[in-house]
Amino acid sequence: MHHAYIDKFAYQDSPIHRLDSRAKFIVLVFFTAVVVSLPRTSLSILFCYAVGPVAVLVIAKIPLRFVFKQILLVSPFVLVLALSCPLYDKTPVKVAFGPFFWPTTVGWMRCFVILGKFVVTMLALIGLVSTTRFGDLLTGLQKLWMPKLLIIQLGFLYRYIFVLIDKVHHILRARNVRRLKNLGFKRELKIAAAMVGSLLIRSIDTAERINIAMQARGFDRTWHSLSKLQIRRCDLLFALIAIFFMLGLYFFVKPVL
Amino acid sequence: MPKAIEIENFSYKYPDGTAALSDISLSIEHGQRVAIIGPNGAGKSTLLLAMAGFVKGTGKVLIEGLEINRKNLKKIRTSLGCCLENPDDQLFMPTLFDDVAFGPLNMGLEGEQVKSRVTDALKTVGLAEMADKAPHHLSAGQKRAAAIATILSMAPKIITLDEPDGSLDPRNRNNLVTLLTSLPQTLIITTCDMNFAASLADRVVLLDDGRIIADGDAKKIMSDSFLMAEHGLEVPTKMT
Repeated sequence: MHHAYIDKFAYQDSPIHRLDSRAKFIVLVFFTAVVVSLPRTSLSILFCYAVGPVAVLVIAKIPLRFVFKQILLVSPFVLVLALSCPLYDKTPVKVAFGPFFWPTTVGWMRCFVILGKFVVTMLALIGLVSTTRFGDLLTGLQKLWMPKLLIIQLGFLYRYIFVLIDKVHHILRARNVRRLKNLGFKRELKIAAAMVGSLLIRSIDTAERINIAMQARGFDRTWHSLSKLQIRRCDLLFALIAIFFMLGLYFFVKPVL
Repeated sequence: MPKAIEIENFSYKYPDGTAALSDISLSIEHGQRVAIIGPNGAGKSTLLLAMAGFVKGTGKVLIEGLEINRKNLKKIRTSLGCCLENPDDQLFMPTLFDDVAFGPLNMGLEGEQVKSRVTDALKTVGLAEMADKAPHHLSAGQKRAAAIATILSMAPKIITLDEPDGSLDPRNRNNLVTLLTSLPQTLIITTCDMNFAASLADRVVLLDDGRIIADGDAKKIMSDSFLMAEHGLEVPTKMT
C-alpha cells in the first residue's frame, strides 16, 4: 500500500538536500526557539521570519501546496488552543498597520500570533523533514549526543508507523465489508474497542518477531551504526546565513503592530 | 567436518501444552538445498526457529557441530542466517543500507568491511541502487530480496528461509528461485507451494502434525500423489 509519506520529497536532490542533517537540525532548533520567544505584538514580523523557511522550501523544490496540506493536517490541535484565547482575554486593544487601525482584543491578537508562530515553525519543520532522509536525521541526532534509546525508538516509530497504518486499513476494510447498517453508538464503540485491542495484540506479535529478527543478526542490546555524515563548508555557510538572518530580524526589525 | 545441521529427538510444546514438534531427528549436509514441506500448522516455522535457537525444547540441536546454548549462540547466529516469513519483520531500520549493515556491525566488523559487505549483498539480490531507500518504499518482491540481503551480508554458511515465496507474483517468484539457486550456502526453506519447492530443493522433508513423515529425494517424495494428498499437499505440476 502506498501512503502520502511525510518525507516523500526527502529523496530528491538539491543544494538543501545535500546539506548535513546536523546543520539543518541545529538551525531548526534555534529558529523555533527564536520564533516562539517573539512577543505577542509581533504578528507582522512573523511574515519576515517565514521568508527563511519558504526560501529553503523553494530552493529544495518542495511544492508549497504539499507543505500547506501537511500544516492543515496537524492544525486542529493548535486551532483549538488558538481559538480559545479570545474567550478568556477580552481586554480591548487598538491595532495599527501603516495608516490603517482597528479595535480588537488581546485574546484575538494572541490567537493570530499563536497561529502565525505555528505556521512559521511548521514551515521550517517540513523544510527539514522534506529535505533530509530520516536515516540521516537519526544519524545526525546520534552525532549530536541524543540518547541512543530515543534514536532507536524514533527509528522504529518511523519504520513501523506505515506498517501499522496498513494494519488499521485492513481491519477497517474487514469491518466495512460486513457492516450493513449502523449498529448504534454503544455497539459501534464496542466494535471499535475490539479493533483497537486486536491492533494492540498484532503490534505485540510484530514486536516479538522483530526482536527475533534482531537477535538472529547478532543484536546484543548495543546499537552500532555507520555514519556517512560529514560537515563541509557549505553546511557552515548555511548555518551562518541562518544565524545572520535570525539575529538580524530579532535585533533590527521592530514590531509594527 | 561437522554436518551443517544435526537434530536428535527434538520435541517442543507450546506454552498451552500443544505439541508443536515431536521427536524430530534430522541431519543436513553442507551445500544441500532442503525444502521442509507440509500443511499449515505442521510445525515448519517452529522447526526453523528451533534451528536458530529461538525455541527451546527437549533433545539436541547442533549447528556446525555446536550445540545450541547461551555460550554458542553468537557463533551459531553468525553461521546460520535466519530469514523470517514477513519481510516487514526482517527490515526494521530506516534505510535499506542500515538494515543490511545491521548484522555485520553486530559482528564487530570495521566500517569499510561493513560497507563492502552491504554493497556485495545488495548487488547479489539486485538492489544495489536502492541502498538509501526506506524499506516501506519497496515492493513486495524487493522487500523479500532485501530481507535475504540482510542475511547474505553476514556471510552465513547456512540460510533458513520461512515461506520466502509468500505473496510473490510469478515473476518475482521466478526471480527468487534464480537468486536462491545461485547461492552457494546450505539452504533450508519452508513452503506450502510444491512447485516452488520442486524448482529449488534436491531434498524434501515432509512434516505434518509436528512429526517427520518423509525425508529424502525431492522428486521421489513429491511425485508420490498418494502421500502428498494424504497430508493436504499436491504433486508439483511438472511432476504430474
